[in-house]
Amino acid sequence: MDLRIENVKKQFSSERDFILDIPELEIHKGEFFGLIGESGCGKTTLLKLIAGLLIPDEGSIYLGGEEITGIAAENRGMAMVFQQDRLFPYMNILDNVAFGLKMKGLTKNDRYARSSEFLSAVGLGGFERRYPLELSGGQRQRIAIARALVTNPPLVLIDEPFSALDPNLRREMRDLVLQLHREYGMTTLFVTHDREEGFYLFKRMAVIKKGKITETGIPRVLYESPGNLHTARFLGIENIIAGSLFENRFTSRGSCLTVSTFSERKKDGFLIIRPEVIGLSKSSDVEDENELKGHITGIDYSSGILNLRVETSPDSSFMLTCTALDRELRIGDKVKLFFPAGKLIFLPTEGS
Amino acid sequence: MKRSTDMAVLSLFIFFLLLSFLPIIFMILLSISGGWPWPDILPSSFNARSWKYVLDIHSGTWTSVWTSLKIAFWATFIDLALALPAGNALGRYEFPLKGFLETLLMLPILVPPVVILMGLHRTFISLGITETFFGVVLAHVVPTLPYMIRALTVSFGKLGFEWEEQARVLGAGWLSRLFNVILPFLMPGMIAGSALTILISMSQYIITLMMGGGQVITLTMRMFPYINGGDQVTGAAYAVLFSMIALILLIFMDLSLNRLYREKRL
Repeated sequence: MDLRIENVKKQFSSERDFILDIPELEIHKGEFFGLIGESGCGKTTLLKLIAGLLIPDEGSIYLGGEEITGIAAENRGMAMVFQQDRLFPYMNILDNVAFGLKMKGLTKNDRYARSSEFLSAVGLGGFERRYPLELSGGQRQRIAIARALVTNPPLVLIDEPFSALDPNLRREMRDLVLQLHREYGMTTLFVTHDREEGFYLFKRMAVIKKGKITETGIPRVLYESPGNLHTARFLGIENIIAGSLFENRFTSRGSCLTVSTFSERKKDGFLIIRPEVIGLSKSSDVEDENELKGHITGIDYSSGILNLRVETSPDSSFMLTCTALDRELRIGDKVKLFFPAGKLIFLPTEGS
Repeated sequence: MKRSTDMAVLSLFIFFLLLSFLPIIFMILLSISGGWPWPDILPSSFNARSWKYVLDIHSGTWTSVWTSLKIAFWATFIDLALALPAGNALGRYEFPLKGFLETLLMLPILVPPVVILMGLHRTFISLGITETFFGVVLAHVVPTLPYMIRALTVSFGKLGFEWEEQARVLGAGWLSRLFNVILPFLMPGMIAGSALTILISMSQYIITLMMGGGQVITLTMRMFPYINGGDQVTGAAYAVLFSMIALILLIFMDLSLNRLYREKRL
């Protein structure tokens, strides 16, 4: 079911300088939508407002066309998975999963049958009689997911459920969530501070900063053409250069690059260069257009990828990534960087 | 080396075990003795005189046991009524002067009870509730309430707000939350606090004596004159009876706690 948020505002008496302000947000039926932002940016607050655990100061929330702003959390029928699994420690796994169905008034047989089915769906069939404390963190989080989905909720809210798990397990859990989404098609709103998780999971996402949505879109599109500096930085683009654009030339500290954007008058702004678009070659002395000479000042290697820092002048350096395949690079090596004009993004300074 | 340490620990253990068991054994022996002249290790003769008297329906023992239990249960009930909101506030909320308030609520077990008793007595006289059952119950609340508040503060701390949030998003209204979330989390604290309250209330003497003015006769009140001189053999029989009742109550509470902890994994 479609979720719509209009002009929702929320402020806390304990934090006067923070205000969550969402003029508009829409999540479509069956969509896997993400909220991404640093901790403390208000993403959990937004989730709790949608769940009904917090009441907005202003604004309205609609689910499937009906306003739910004034409806208590327990009557909204949504499901929420929290950062901690929050399985009731005094109930066995089956009773935990069946809790939502019990609240809906299903008979014991019906709710146990359906809960067992969902336990199998998350790969934990046979764990019915166990207790939460006997299970590992990953298993518990799987059960928390089963418990949320078993009632067939119109909207599932998921709040950073895997941040406490180790990397391999996290990947496994992401796959599980995607698989469940394919299978059951539930509208999902997932919150994370981890951009890798965002890229992996979300069909669309909203980037939040200090209580406001700065940009909404498809993760890959947001990364490849960010609409503002925050999106660029948050999604991991470190090469953000201040300078000015005139015609199709971007100038910064004496260096000049040709870009595909055109401006008739001189405009201040930033050039955003994704680390993987920069071409790298071992230095030949000629310097063509859109090439800069420099030397490597930092290398780190992770799973077949090299992350390099190249200094092109004493006060400017670039981060770039390339595959490590057949490359032997050392700190201090002289290299030449190539900046393809069509992949450089110019963002004018706001208000200019 | 290890062997000798083990031996030392073992003998120390046996020593303390004897230390705590000897008085009880002594008490049981004394309660069935017919005469026990000074240097003898064992009584010279045995009879059941004191037990016949203590257990006799006309001796007033059973009325006093009943009074003791009634006072203990009422005190527990009032403690729970007061400590539930107090524990909720201390365990789940932050507010100014919280630490100060916590200390204040612990005062009755920090200050000697006799000191509190004088003020309490004057107040109860002006309220006209001395020498009444209700007055004694209220007086027993004073030394027991801090334990109940302590136990429930811990339980409310464990409960927090997140479990209720979780239950709400699963569709639980307030009544469902009370039975499915709040009570299961508070039960261990309520049982532990009640066990302490009942045991402390049962063993009160001075408070019962002053507030009851000799009109409210608990088991301790019956026992004390015998132990204090009159007839130590009968006193010992009362002491054994008291211990048995306390033990039974404690075992009962402990079993319920264990059931919660083990079966329900709280």
